[in-house]
Amino acid sequence: MKTYSLLVAAASVTLLMQSSALAGDVHVLNWKGYGTDESWAVEAFEKATGHKVINDYFNSEQEMLTKLRTNPGLYDVVMINAAFNDQATAEGLIQPIDVSKIPNAADIGEEKAASPMLNHDGKVYGVPWVWGLTSIAVNDKSFDETPTSIQVMWDEAHKGRVTLRDDALEAIQFGAIASGQNINDIKDMDAVKAKLTSLIPQIKTFWGSENDWNQMVAANQIDVGTYWSGSASRAKKNFNLPVTFVVPEEGAVGWLDALSIPKDSKNVEGAEAFINYMIDPAFYTEWDEKVGAPVSANLKAVAALPEDAFNRKVMGDPKVAERIQFQAPVSDADREAYLKIWQELKVNVQ
Amino acid sequence: MSGQSVSMGRRSPAKAAAPLLLPAYLWLIVAIFLPLSAMVFFSFASDMPFSGKPWSLTLSNYAEFFSSSVYATLLLSSFRLALEVTLWCVLLGFPAAYVLAKVFKGRTREAVFLLVILPFWSNGLVRIFSWAMVLRSGGILDTALNAVLPFKINIDLMYSYPAVIIGLVHSYVPYIVLTCYLSLQAIDDSIIEAARSLGASRLTILKRLIIPLALPGILAGSVLVFVPVIGSFMEPRILGGRTGTFYGTVIEDQFVAVFNWPLGAALSFILLAVVLIILAAASPIMRRAT
Amino acid sequence: MSKTTRFLSALGRGYVVLLLAFLYLPIFIMGLMSFNASPFYQLPMKWSTTWYEALSQDDRLVGAALNSLQIAIITTVIASILGTAASLAFFRYNFKGKKVLQTLLLPPIAIPWLITGTAMLVFFYGVGIGRGLHAILLGHVALALPYVIIVVNARLQTFAPELEEAARSLGASQWQITRRITLPYIAPGVIAGGLFAFAVSFDQFVVSYFLATPGQTTLPVEIYAAIRKGFTPEINAVSTIIIVISMALMLFTARFYKFGGNG
Repeated sequence: MKTYSLLVAAASVTLLMQSSALAGDVHVLNWKGYGTDESWAVEAFEKATGHKVINDYFNSEQEMLTKLRTNPGLYDVVMINAAFNDQATAEGLIQPIDVSKIPNAADIGEEKAASPMLNHDGKVYGVPWVWGLTSIAVNDKSFDETPTSIQVMWDEAHKGRVTLRDDALEAIQFGAIASGQNINDIKDMDAVKAKLTSLIPQIKTFWGSENDWNQMVAANQIDVGTYWSGSASRAKKNFNLPVTFVVPEEGAVGWLDALSIPKDSKNVEGAEAFINYMIDPAFYTEWDEKVGAPVSANLKAVAALPEDAFNRKVMGDPKVAERIQFQAPVSDADREAYLKIWQELKVNVQ
Repeated sequence: MSGQSVSMGRRSPAKAAAPLLLPAYLWLIVAIFLPLSAMVFFSFASDMPFSGKPWSLTLSNYAEFFSSSVYATLLLSSFRLALEVTLWCVLLGFPAAYVLAKVFKGRTREAVFLLVILPFWSNGLVRIFSWAMVLRSGGILDTALNAVLPFKINIDLMYSYPAVIIGLVHSYVPYIVLTCYLSLQAIDDSIIEAARSLGASRLTILKRLIIPLALPGILAGSVLVFVPVIGSFMEPRILGGRTGTFYGTVIEDQFVAVFNWPLGAALSFILLAVVLIILAAASPIMRRAT
Repeated sequence: MSKTTRFLSALGRGYVVLLLAFLYLPIFIMGLMSFNASPFYQLPMKWSTTWYEALSQDDRLVGAALNSLQIAIITTVIASILGTAASLAFFRYNFKGKKVLQTLLLPPIAIPWLITGTAMLVFFYGVGIGRGLHAILLGHVALALPYVIIVVNARLQTFAPELEEAARSLGASQWQITRRITLPYIAPGVIAGGLFAFAVSFDQFVVSYFLATPGQTTLPVEIYAAIRKGFTPEINAVSTIIIVISMALMLFTARFYKFGGNG
């Protein structure tokens, strides 16, 4: 194909152009404001190792993959949700990691480190970094007693004061949990649709960013909505908002974010050092205390938190752990099907 | 856009025009048309050529548009949105342009002219978030009105269709003011004086003289408003809440939520085709109106 | 002036003031909230200069703002010159394919920027242009060109070609005609087009976002990357500073130059 030869030629040109980058630079690709770009942390890391950190951001997983595809050799560390690791590995965008060079990796929980989502052909393609839940959070001002069931989202009393993230995958998986199904193997899609159809009239708006959510609570516009555990703890701790994260009896969606090294990275050593620093207990405790973070995959890091910390007390509770359904990779075809269902729901139910 | 032709001696018009046109169009070709052609190509692919999956050429992405009523419904509501926003912009912008061109004089006019453009220089996203602040209940508008009014009212325009209209009109009304101003300012005052001394009423002057002469400006402005609004996604998503799903947001999803560029590209080009058809259909009507 | 005329003029002025109030309401709120201690814009206001202090520490954001300004200015200059030239060609000559060329100005405006941005990223990568400030500039000028051409064209529609004809019959050269007659007449259109170009570039968050390289950011990139988390009022603070400075600059220049044309 002509397109191919064009792409290959272009890739080599791009490589030539970029080979001038400093060997001591660590280019990191992640969501903005998600740990890797905390200025105090970057400073500490640079001081300790001499590597300079340069952050770049993405706004969606699709964009992250596109940036990796179109910038071979540019990035050294990329944050990839475990459910996307498969695809990145299959496309040859990331390389195997030598875990022995990352001392802190030894303290990562066994079932996370051995996750089949991150290990392919006996090689490690992602170092588990942090994990968390997608569930619901409530505005404390609207409840005398914190609800324990997901059904509160459908409660007439909260009509027009409910929010849901505008994301097809999250919405469908939320509907699966509410209709008592396995999020990774949805058998009865009609039940999910019916559940979501009856939810839409309850909704005030679909939220997009953490800030949206926090603003709506600050202005007392919502009672309850889907939220991420790390964001809820940040809202409560960092911003003093009346927010309580709920892991309902019906269950919650668990996700795992991992750090990977892109293929052709020009500073693998720096990347390993950075990943090691990111799962270090010292960094993690400071991150959780100063800013609010999801749960570290490093057991020692979690154990180093104060005893009453949400990430240790609630997220470490075995009873909570039982209710978590961890997200497995979702095929492109399923994603597209979910998106279509979600768009139809939004258009038809207004 | 009908220009006047002037025969330029021996050179053919195309040859004479080339040096003036080439730099701009070469730039457009490299930076826009070639990239968009790549997108046209993708819109006929079954899967993205560099995703590592096998792919072939197909019309299925275009067929998808007709497979369910969702896309057509959304395109229709986007069309309605763009039409309403354009109408509001003309209604609000034209009188302001007239005052600017014919009432204000000298330095005041320069200053007001610049003041109209300045809001443009702030970031669109920041402006949208500021509107959210104004429109929500317990927000600025609500608080301010309740402080002034003797009775209690509750204003909560946020997350509604009107909020989308307000946000978009705010972003685009300066286009109309400026383009109308440019053509109104070119109308010689003495023509208006002459018409008045012949006994024409203000309304007649407006209808028969001013609006026809200002039409190029109104049309250019309307195009600059209508065309981007029909594909807008940021304002509807943030301000519209539950009613904020439009054609542009669906296209965005194909790029952001899933890696379905072929479908996203096909939907964009259908949008482009519809826009061009609308403009082509509208131009004879507009011309007759003069 | 008759009484009615005076009344109508006053009414008109009042209306323009109202419209300006509408235009500046969110800008004003943006400025106000940059002084609010609450990052969630909570009311009542708690006055604070926290965000300005944070900004003064934030080299990255300030640098990004300066980069944006630089790109916007260069874009304005290039797009105004190329765009005006193209408008003149459309105005002066009738040739085959003119309608097609004019219609081609619409796709860059009609296709959502997200798609154009993605297309540019993939294409620039494919042909080796890559990402960076040069790529951003390439993209911005292209996006601004249609605006300049359409706006200048709207102004030219009111120009009497007989003027050029008359000058020509008096023996003036093409360049003399352009410089002495046409350009002064369309100057308000060119300036308006340039102001549009500046706005398109400065406000362009999607395309810049795709084309910027890490470490070399622009203000919109910083803003757009924050969509998932939401941005802090630091962004409001830097936007407020920019608006205040540009307002001061514009009003200052307005004292010395005529932007709005003669008459």
